Amino acid sequence: MAERNESNSEILSWGPNDKHRLLNTRLPRVDFPYKTTGTAIYTYDVSLPGMLQGRILCSPHAKATIKSLDLSPALRIPGVKAAVKRLDVGGMLRFEGDPIAAVAATTAEIAEDAVLAIQVTYNELPFVVTADDAIKPGAPAVYPDDPAVINNTRVNDERGDSGKVADALKSADAVVEAEYRSPTLHHTCLETHAVVVDYRGGDSATVYVSTQGTFSIPGDAARTLDLDESNVTGIVQYMGGGFGSKGGIGVEGQLACRLSKQAGVPVKMALPRRDEFIMAGNGPGSIQKFRAGVSRDGKLLAVQVEEYGLGGIGGARLAGQPYVYRAENIYRKAGSIHTNEDAARPLRAPGHPPACFAMESLMDELAYKIGMDPVEFRIRNLPENDVHIRQLQRGAKEIGWDRRSRTPGGWPGTVKRGFGCACGVWGGGGRAQCVVDVSIGRDGAVIVSCGSQDLGTGTRTYMVAIVAEELGLEMGDVHEKIGDTRLTNANYSGGSTTAASLSPAVKVAAINAKAEIAKALAPVLGANADDIVFADRKISAGGKTLTWSQACAALPSAGISVRGKFKRGLSSNGTHGACFAEVEVDTETGHVQVIRILDVQDCGLPLNRLAVESQINGGMVQGIGMALLEGRVMDARLGVMINSSFMDYKIPGCLEMPREMLPLIDDDDPRQQVVGVGEPPSVPPAAAIANAIYSACGVRVRELPITPDKVLMGLMGAKA
Amino acid sequence: MKAFEWSSATTVDEAVKLLAEVSADDFTEIARPFSGGQDLLTTMKERILTPKRVVNLKTIAGMDGIDNDAKTGLKIGALAKLVEIENHPQITKNYPGLAEAAESIATVQLRNQGTIGGSLCQRPRCWYFRHPEIICLKKGGDTCYSEKGQNKYNAILGGGPSFIVHPSDLATMLVALEASVTIAGPKGSRVVPLEKFFTLPKDSDVTKENVLDDAEIVTQVQVPASPLAARSTYVKFKERSSLDFAMGAAAAAVELAPDGTVRQARLVLGAVAPIPWRVPRAEAVLVGKPLSDATINAAADIALEGASPLEKNAYKIPLSKALLRRALNKLKNA
Repeated sequence: MAERNESNSEILSWGPNDKHRLLNTRLPRVDFPYKTTGTAIYTYDVSLPGMLQGRILCSPHAKATIKSLDLSPALRIPGVKAAVKRLDVGGMLRFEGDPIAAVAATTAEIAEDAVLAIQVTYNELPFVVTADDAIKPGAPAVYPDDPAVINNTRVNDERGDSGKVADALKSADAVVEAEYRSPTLHHTCLETHAVVVDYRGGDSATVYVSTQGTFSIPGDAARTLDLDESNVTGIVQYMGGGFGSKGGIGVEGQLACRLSKQAGVPVKMALPRRDEFIMAGNGPGSIQKFRAGVSRDGKLLAVQVEEYGLGGIGGARLAGQPYVYRAENIYRKAGSIHTNEDAARPLRAPGHPPACFAMESLMDELAYKIGMDPVEFRIRNLPENDVHIRQLQRGAKEIGWDRRSRTPGGWPGTVKRGFGCACGVWGGGGRAQCVVDVSIGRDGAVIVSCGSQDLGTGTRTYMVAIVAEELGLEMGDVHEKIGDTRLTNANYSGGSTTAASLSPAVKVAAINAKAEIAKALAPVLGANADDIVFADRKISAGGKTLTWSQACAALPSAGISVRGKFKRGLSSNGTHGACFAEVEVDTETGHVQVIRILDVQDCGLPLNRLAVESQINGGMVQGIGMALLEGRVMDARLGVMINSSFMDYKIPGCLEMPREMLPLIDDDDPRQQVVGVGEPPSVPPAAAIANAIYSACGVRVRELPITPDKVLMGLMGAKA
Repeated sequence: MKAFEWSSATTVDEAVKLLAEVSADDFTEIARPFSGGQDLLTTMKERILTPKRVVNLKTIAGMDGIDNDAKTGLKIGALAKLVEIENHPQITKNYPGLAEAAESIATVQLRNQGTIGGSLCQRPRCWYFRHPEIICLKKGGDTCYSEKGQNKYNAILGGGPSFIVHPSDLATMLVALEASVTIAGPKGSRVVPLEKFFTLPKDSDVTKENVLDDAEIVTQVQVPASPLAARSTYVKFKERSSLDFAMGAAAAAVELAPDGTVRQARLVLGAVAPIPWRVPRAEAVLVGKPLSDATINAAADIALEGASPLEKNAYKIPLSKALLRRALNKLKNA
């Protein structure tokens, strides 16, 4: 491997955003033929000779200890090859779904029978599964031994002067006091959590996982299999969605490793949908209580807020209020409320969509209360020169904000139109972990490789595009390899950091490849390496031109192999977005249809406009689900989730899609740097839709999802 | 899914015999008939039902036909697929409400599999009934958890001791169309008006939704030809338009006299009760009067009289009224 010393080279840059040949254009994904024809192999599809199917016995109780546990009836069923305990007698089960034991059998159906054959008895204990029950004094404690948790509430952030806020509220011209709630959500990945452990004894193993971190596999699996980490290969070829729910190999992966070790053959553990709902994480719900005051001229004077994430047995942080806005006086108390539910995990822009929904609903309520245009009111309370200002102005123009009725519910007829908006922020910066290889053969083959995973965000495509653009080639000339720990290192895909971490390393590798080729061809062309031009699939200098294949044929026999590492300056951090929604509310049925929605989103240099637009569209679709349909429903007496299926946990389908959906890349962003845009477009859409519903029918629903029953009851209340 | 024996019948008699000869200690294990499988398989996957034997009816010749006689009406074989009903030219013309009800169901993929017999005999959608770990009243337990629990989608009429709502769109419409079903069983066959086919939980075995005994199957649905059927409609409201069961529904069929007054009307509400909920007092309000805003509003209001909502489903009252008004307005202009 040739590593180029960059210390004396010029400062690296992508160049102006509008001067790219491939980047910042609309590139079809390089893997779309495989995904659309079904030839892409997801972990769920991996099938190996002799492979067993695993199933997990999950706790049916919200809280219990195990009184007795006997796996032998399961092992007696023909076809059952292995069974392992995760917990034993006396073990504490803390939520419905908490894994107890697992089995592996020749078919999934036999494994399911085996799970049900396991003899287990429980000592059921008092539990809480709703926040309202949890915070009652004397409620069963989720963390009885933790002095920092009082009434199942853990406060981990308290700031501001509540006295000053109280004074400011007294002098405010208008005050809104409101509590906003959002339910626990689910990631609803099309591919559930899935692991295939290929271990047949010996000192090495290959582990296929549907995970957001390829390089999290070997360590996790090696610990359970008792192997050297370097002898475990992790593979993540294609991912059927992660959205923050898939890190490492998970408890399901650990159980699969133990089953494979016991049986001596490969084991697949692919969660059934119900298990996915109850034991594979969720996005936390929220309760956010505000008192906020404004002056008549639209200045936010004081915000007093208590904001809690509903983290189950885990923690859940919400973005700090007043979110993107400035207020003269702020008092904030933030933390988690614990219940006997599965621990929350990051869910696409963790903590932001619920915080945005609450703050942007509050901003709307304040604006209407003082009779100010909600867009103008927002602009007055954003920091000076804030990016959101231009985004709000653009969004208002694009949606036709002036078409709205200024009076909520003022649109004529029974089916009423309304308009709403909201702003969001995210980080999305790069980390210095990625290493990328580029190799060029004498046959002209160009391969760019890195062990990183493609969550569906388009990683493969921009890797190809960056190299092709740098070498003057077309997309089809470059091939990629990813998702394998035998390739070079990459970071975990979390926080929208993959593109901003990986693309600089690809760029550096491509530059290094170019330099190596130039060095090798300089004598052939009779020119200085620095004068060689790569363009139009040709290499030329001093009046001489070689086609790409001619040039590569002249390379040393081993071809060229170079490496690139992350370099600062090619990526940046911080994104902004503004979403506008136009909805129709049927005031007789409570039905809400999103008619038009747009999301203005900055992201520095968009590596692939089609992929960025796709991210923005996906964010809007998830926002529609969050606003109108989705939410985990618990039965407080039984302690279980009662809508743990796709029939009952409703996600949007085709008919929920708006007539028009506009993913608008904010090209006024002057940064010539890559910033991650995976998560941020999902932040403001739900809030914008909620505000549009109020604008349409005059009903302020402060609890998501805004389903027809809530709209109708609101309208009935308004009439009464 | 628990392993089961798969037996294909070639005649109705054979199907009945195959169903009857399985003895089971528990109603969850008795043999079950299979037509489209779109509901049965979901109950088996969740092990709500674990039949020892599944009797395939699809191998019975001629049980999927749709016969139309202009004078006597429709004879629809229980295996007729929902897509065939929604697209049948005579049905769309002379029984428009039936075609609309069929078309409102689920997705086109499901309607290509699902049958009319299966639609009528499908099991409830109540969250508690569908949860594999919860043994509610309907599954042989002693508590209907919806009554004091999460009851947004449950009954506001005819509830108790179970508060399910009947999930079948076709049932609601077919009751409005005065349909009847032929039932075959070990003791022979019988014809039952659909209005008497569905049973309230307080009147019968709470683990069932209809009069079918074990080993009995629906073989045919008859819909009489009538001016009512020709002026019929089904208005369904779903929380999720793409794929969902009814949150509310109204089936209406009206015969108008030459002067535009209502000669007879049949109005049935869906998704409000454990059975298709006919509202005779609302029908009576319309008879002898024109379909005007005033009569339509009066009928809609009286239709929901006596409704007793649970904690989370009072919205079904204004919703059902609105759907009934919409149905009648549609018929006024039909």
